Amino acid sequence: MIYLDYSATTPISFDVLDSYNKVSKEFIGNPNSLHSLGSKAKDLISNATKQISELLNVLEQEIIYTSGATESNNMALIGVAKAYKRYGNHIIVSKLEHPSIYKICEYLESVGFKISYVDCDQEGLIDFEDLKRKVKPETILVSICAVNSEMGIRQPLKMIRQIIKKENNNIIFHSDMTQGLGKIPLNVHDTDLASFSIHKVYGPKGIGLLYKSSKIKLEPIIYGSSKENDIRPGTPAVALIAAASKAIRLNIHDLDRKETFIRKLNEKIVKELAHFEGVKINQTKYSIPHILNMSLPHIKPETFLHAMEEYEIYLGTNTACSSGEISNSIMAVYKDKERAATSIRISLSYLTTIDEINRFLNCFELIYKRLSALTYE
Amino acid sequence: MEKLIIIKYGELTTKKENINLFINTLNKNIKEKLKEFSVKIEYDKGRMFIRVLDNAFANVIETLKEVFGIHEIIIGYEINTLDLEEIKKNIQFLVKEKKFTTFKIETKRSNKKIKKTSIEISSEIGAFLLKENQNIKVDIHNPEIKIHLELRNKESYIYFETIKGLGGYPVGTLGKGILMLSGGIDSPVAGFLSIKRGVKVEGIYFESPPHTSIEAKKKVEELARILSKYNGETKLHIINFTAIQEAIYKNIPHEYLITIMRRMMYRISSIIASRSNAKILVNGESIGQVASQTLTSMKAINEVVKLPVIRPVACFDKLEIIDFAKKIGTYGTSILPFEDCCTIFVPEHPVINPDSKVCENYETLIPYQELIYKAIKNHEIIKISEQEKNDYEDIL
Repeated sequence: MIYLDYSATTPISFDVLDSYNKVSKEFIGNPNSLHSLGSKAKDLISNATKQISELLNVLEQEIIYTSGATESNNMALIGVAKAYKRYGNHIIVSKLEHPSIYKICEYLESVGFKISYVDCDQEGLIDFEDLKRKVKPETILVSICAVNSEMGIRQPLKMIRQIIKKENNNIIFHSDMTQGLGKIPLNVHDTDLASFSIHKVYGPKGIGLLYKSSKIKLEPIIYGSSKENDIRPGTPAVALIAAASKAIRLNIHDLDRKETFIRKLNEKIVKELAHFEGVKINQTKYSIPHILNMSLPHIKPETFLHAMEEYEIYLGTNTACSSGEISNSIMAVYKDKERAATSIRISLSYLTTIDEINRFLNCFELIYKRLSALTYE
Repeated sequence: MEKLIIIKYGELTTKKENINLFINTLNKNIKEKLKEFSVKIEYDKGRMFIRVLDNAFANVIETLKEVFGIHEIIIGYEINTLDLEEIKKNIQFLVKEKKFTTFKIETKRSNKKIKKTSIEISSEIGAFLLKENQNIKVDIHNPEIKIHLELRNKESYIYFETIKGLGGYPVGTLGKGILMLSGGIDSPVAGFLSIKRGVKVEGIYFESPPHTSIEAKKKVEELARILSKYNGETKLHIINFTAIQEAIYKNIPHEYLITIMRRMMYRISSIIASRSNAKILVNGESIGQVASQTLTSMKAINEVVKLPVIRPVACFDKLEIIDFAKKIGTYGTSILPFEDCCTIFVPEHPVINPDSKVCENYETLIPYQELIYKAIKNHEIIKISEQEKNDYEDIL
């Protein structure tokens, strides 16, 4: 099997899985219980949180555990909208966001908020002038992802923050950092809120984080009885939290070396695919090498994906969450509907081998020729 | 030329007869404190030299700032010669990197075989530097940089700034004390101050489960862990006080609850002290702070023990103690809201001027000797060290 869909999700590391199993077996208490089994579980969580806070350079109370990045995004956007609605009803997001952000925006629009979509330039970078124009006195929130999930375009968050805050210092800045964690160095202090997902860093599915600066407040989106964490009540997922802490620890370092290796793989693929007429690489100078997107003219992405699957090669179309639709990001950058409708995504990991890439390229040739011939008939 | 850390002992050097004990203990304490680093330590009666092998100077210095008995920490440079020409060259090399307009040279020679006096050496080097560098001059009263030169047996040392150490005596040189650690703000500060004077402390904590929770005990363990930064590995004696406390509550008039409870704690602490070969009791009592800390109360309570009871914060105001607790890092833990055995069973009107005769009479109402014997027989000892024992290392 050749797995080339690491940006959709990653295989869990066995070290992390061991922790998950161990905690599930040995820490049976509810962390909210007063007895010693409860405090044992609570103590583990507080150690796990402490470790994460040190790794992300934030305060322990600034970390909220969620079920994943989609929930983190919901909690951030809806939480801010509810908490700050008396200051304004305007929210700005980019055109390169994960679909979950757009779905949340649709909901917020239905309850009276106004959403603006900020443009990006030909390289996929946020159009700063457009951003300045869109910031208004009633803007309460801007959400821009750190790394776009389809083309891997990385945004200069610090600069974006400066622009926003200069126009309107009260605006809260959220960033979906899901595709950045474990791939590039992140400074969460560029933001007030940041979403993370653990299954993107070789951890289990079902857990994410929301960084929430202690300087801002959120209204909860779910209600419950826990006193400890009233923003996200419910019994804490002890084993998932421990596993998350370990997954982050194991994957937050050594990013440069991994990136250099992955860049080589990326360059190799780009170079080889240049021989195929019609293949368009959707990658700009701001794309991280871990994500390699391309459009195959006249070929339905799903067909291509299933054809590759016959050779046990797994890749992605758009993002896993929105297969079948046209790609918002590619549309936003290239303004080309055909290109946006025929894109596939290869995502690479430090686990990927040169041999895997060679085999991928061989199969690519085979299938591309086969499917192109069919299309033109 | 080798960069190294030089330690000045300060007050220790005045202890003529015990000087070896003091310096050996300091050496042992520093070794223990620096065990995570690869360092080589040499010492004599005047100085200690620490060679840092993995270039972790900044971290080593931060760690040394937590060791009592160190007066000054110096980053210095060692040259293996007493030859003045060599020394001049090396000083010039070091000085080149620095920006200053005025300087002063202070020479010390513990090696009296050197013919030139310290003053002669200083002025010779000064003249050399004036010749080699432009736009600098000597200012002996208020120089921008002080260049220190020490000439010892075969080596000379050059250094510039000195960093203030914690002072005090090396922990353990004055023997042991039992610190009555309640979980409040005052007792950790009292512990810190006695550690400062060379007393190795062992903590004693009275728990009353189920009236007090495991969290309250954890909190005291955490306080002991913070103190162990200065105290080294710290023993914590945990006394189950439930039976005694319930017996007092059931049988003794309530205005005397606290006085008699404290007398029991003192008795137990004093027995633990003699078993641990500790010479004193230490606690966080502060004159007048609460009913049990009036002078009359202190007298009535103190009477049950023969050991000296040291109360380092007796004359501090509460706010002064709080400032101290913040400085040493115990405050945040101390204010965690868990009940300890002093805050449960609190009478509405405790006696302010208790009478020891009355105490003795009331104490006949409970079989306290037997209860104390049982509590001590079953007491738990935990050893706490600075490195937070992370049981989760394999998990996280």
